[in-house]
Amino acid sequence: MESPQQQVVPDLSAIDSTSDLFPLALLMDELKHDEVSNRVEAMQKLKIIAQALGPERTKDELIPFLIDVAQDDEDEVFVVLAEQLNDTFLPFIGGVEYAKYLLPPLEILASTEETLVRNKAVESLNYLASKMSREQILNDFIPLVEHLSLTEWFSSKCSACGLFLKCFQKLDDKALNEDLQLKKKLFEFYYNLCIDDTPMVRRSAAKSLPEIIDFLSEGYSIEKNNDVSLDIDLKFISSMFEKIIGDLQDSVKFLAVDILISILKFFNKLNNYQHFDDLLSSAINLGNDQGWRIRYMVADNINKITEQFFIAKNGESSQYLNKLIPMFVKLTSDQENDVRKASGKQIPEFCEFLIKAKLGTSKLQLNTAATNEAKNAESTESSKERYFILDEFLPILEKLSVDENEQVRVSLASKVTYMAKIMDREDCVYRLVPILIVMLKDESPDVPLQIISHLENVNEVVGIEILKENLLPCIQELSIDLNWRVRLAVIENIPILAKQLKLEIFQDKLNLMCLNFLWDNVYSIRAAAIQNLKKLCEIFGSDWANEEIIKKLLQSKSDILQVFTFRITLLQALTELITVVSNDIILDQILPFIEHLNDDKVPNIRFNVAKAYYVVVSKLGKKDYSNLINNSILPKLKELMVDTDTDVRYFANDSFNKIESL
Amino acid sequence: MSVETDIPMQEIGSSNNLERSQSHENDNIDLMIDTETSKSFNSLHLLKGDKENVLDDSFLQKPITGKDLLFDHQSSSSSLIDRWINKVSKCDVLSEEEVEKLCDMAKEVLNKEENVQQVSLPVTICGDVHGQFHDLMELFKIGGPCPDNNYLFMGDYVDRGYYSVETVTFLVCMKVRYPDRITILRGNHESRQITQVYGFYDECLRKYGSANVWRLFTDLFDSFPITALVANKIFCLHGGLSPMIENIDQIRDLNRHQEVPHEGPMCDLLWSDPDDRGGWGISPRGAGFTFGQDISEQFNHTNDLDLIARAHQLVMEGFSWSHSSVVTIFSAPNYCYRCGNMSALMQVDETFNKKFLQFDAAVRPGEPTVSRKTPDYFL
Repeated sequence: MESPQQQVVPDLSAIDSTSDLFPLALLMDELKHDEVSNRVEAMQKLKIIAQALGPERTKDELIPFLIDVAQDDEDEVFVVLAEQLNDTFLPFIGGVEYAKYLLPPLEILASTEETLVRNKAVESLNYLASKMSREQILNDFIPLVEHLSLTEWFSSKCSACGLFLKCFQKLDDKALNEDLQLKKKLFEFYYNLCIDDTPMVRRSAAKSLPEIIDFLSEGYSIEKNNDVSLDIDLKFISSMFEKIIGDLQDSVKFLAVDILISILKFFNKLNNYQHFDDLLSSAINLGNDQGWRIRYMVADNINKITEQFFIAKNGESSQYLNKLIPMFVKLTSDQENDVRKASGKQIPEFCEFLIKAKLGTSKLQLNTAATNEAKNAESTESSKERYFILDEFLPILEKLSVDENEQVRVSLASKVTYMAKIMDREDCVYRLVPILIVMLKDESPDVPLQIISHLENVNEVVGIEILKENLLPCIQELSIDLNWRVRLAVIENIPILAKQLKLEIFQDKLNLMCLNFLWDNVYSIRAAAIQNLKKLCEIFGSDWANEEIIKKLLQSKSDILQVFTFRITLLQALTELITVVSNDIILDQILPFIEHLNDDKVPNIRFNVAKAYYVVVSKLGKKDYSNLINNSILPKLKELMVDTDTDVRYFANDSFNKIESL
Repeated sequence: MSVETDIPMQEIGSSNNLERSQSHENDNIDLMIDTETSKSFNSLHLLKGDKENVLDDSFLQKPITGKDLLFDHQSSSSSLIDRWINKVSKCDVLSEEEVEKLCDMAKEVLNKEENVQQVSLPVTICGDVHGQFHDLMELFKIGGPCPDNNYLFMGDYVDRGYYSVETVTFLVCMKVRYPDRITILRGNHESRQITQVYGFYDECLRKYGSANVWRLFTDLFDSFPITALVANKIFCLHGGLSPMIENIDQIRDLNRHQEVPHEGPMCDLLWSDPDDRGGWGISPRGAGFTFGQDISEQFNHTNDLDLIARAHQLVMEGFSWSHSSVVTIFSAPNYCYRCGNMSALMQVDETFNKKFLQFDAAVRPGEPTVSRKTPDYFL
């Protein structure tokens, strides 16, 4: 550091190499370093350089230099540069009024071939635009957007697509003719991007269109609208949608699904339903498309589409939804795995929309106490309708539940339990539970795992008896699954089950299983089993814990306790239970066991004994049991404090200090 | 994996590039500190005076370094290491200063150990880990945490996987914190030469910007014990037997504090493999030998052993018996993130009962779960 380096980069010859600026020169030197990683690092410190230079010289010297860099370096450097030149850089060039100085380097970066760089540049440009004034947008930003969308090369045009939204946001004065004209002009540019020769450009245009439509729809309401402006908007939106939905490239066409949803939202906002029939047939055509990617998009978004038709307030919603059924049903038996995977998990929500539309309500009230009367009052007509829908879809669920593709089954398993919410108890028991049982026995562990972790949905509806008869055997089988993550999922769901099961049923069916988990080979299972026992003791109370857990655990002695792993597990289980059982149980059962391990031959056991003493003392309370603590526990602990093993001594001292400071 | 392909370390160690990048690194650090104190450079009055242009603080704040932690007199060394363990177990790396301090402490611990380190029961014996940090964490989920359980690792912590630095840092931290609860042997990858070829060197350079951390760890590797003897009955080492070693006492006489040699007994212990053919054979690896059942039986008889446990070879089930009393244990599931093998560990309890636990790879965060997007140019 003593001697300033003389290698100042040529671009900055303006900087005198006097001592005051040489740290800067150093950083600038780094920007020219041979190693890319050094240049990247230096670029990350760009703000320090700009700070040191001051706003004037940053504008006059640093920015031109960066323009050079932006044309001749590696992508890694470009990414950082594009990131640096966002709105947080504005203070270093003298404030937002000089924002235009940052546009040229970003424009170059927005034209590079690497998508990552382009995206960062577009992001930064959008940040800048949101800070810029209306005048600046008109004079600097829009010309840049125009320029980008008119260049030859696809990369600039792709970037341009991402910049229109900000322009529209800033030209939002509908009364102003100038704005309308400009908007029209921008729409024309955008339309040209939608029909560009290069699919990448068309794709970018289609991708940015939904958020533009969403923004435009914000400006209108049902009551009063500027008709001229609305006309312009709708005309362009519909012409662009037509082009995109008719695109020959699948990867452009599939974006029409998102655009369709945005258009539907727009019309719903205006309560304008004159185009709904056309849009419905567009949706159906997309769902029946040749390209699987397009069908996948429809399947994945079916409920977003359905929702828009559902909320239509012209009394036709049920009609619309009925027409979607055949298309959706076809998707659930599509030949492509991905389409079946996407459509399967949408079935419950789709059915819910159908039923709600039939009943003409926005809320379904099945299976709640109040509904019995309501159900009687409910016309038999509507419950017939519901059966009709279930008749249509339950066979589909049945078929998908044994689909040949594992991913399809896993995806279905994650949502199928939600069907219970739209079925009454009887339906659930006779038609849904059998499907669940099949899925619980699936050969791929992920399927039952998904079912078990969503079981409470079914539980609420079918009640405990059915669960006991049908599902508990499956769960017991899964509790000895070879995959330890399945066993873990079973344990983690036991407290949920325990809360819902009656004590006798639990005792009967699950208690032994819970205890057996303690002797699992996998540590994580044993640890989860301990936590599970603790939760059960909290649920069923101290006496139950003593009779059913602690006494049984202590009986398990002899051969099992020969094995170190199980001895330490039992010790840790009992230590963990200390906090949730009564003091009598601790004194009568747990403490003697802990003390008997005081001179175990394995040090790992002994230092866990030392840790356990602290847990005992802090639960009992130093005052109430001072006699016991001073005459029994502390002498034992002091033995361990002079143990031959370092770790035993460490943990014994640690416990002792903690007890002292209680 | 042949030795011939290894690049001599001097070439890389003294390369100009490296020196240059290092010196620049230092310059930057100095600059940052001076910027903060604003003492040395007149030019930086800018930073003080111009309130409006105050930089984001994070730019100028000196990162908290190991030194800050070490000079904290209130913390005993074990709580310092507990903090490091906590940090590394989240797959973070320690700072260079912290690694330096850690290696000093570890050297003190490891130098006290013998070439044939005595280990008592119960213990869990594991094989190669190879920088698969998340799988190492999974291993502790299966076998139970240290120090509640005792562990013996048989080498090859670095190279191949993407998290060699985290893996070796974690294990060395555990060793320093609980020297009696964990034993870490040296594998053939714990060497200056091999790590330059198979990834650890590059990873250090990538994560620290210089080779210093690599140098610290590879120097430390010279202190690792090369074999272990569990309860006088189970002989554990990374590779296998050597024609120059007939009984265990001969190993005790070796000088292990050196780079793994290209030949000789120390090399063999870290490189050899068991083979179906009897007697000694030439190893296809270019180092060490292959040894047959007759050799291992003779060795076990001479030394009154029950079993030789070793690692070093990928086995699809995670463990595999060869001969009647040699077991290979491999603890890197889905080795190199593509081999599709299981991982295993061997639990031996106080009564010499052996239990093998097999497990699959952990889910790595950030691993792509969907198929890759089609690149633009395929459209």
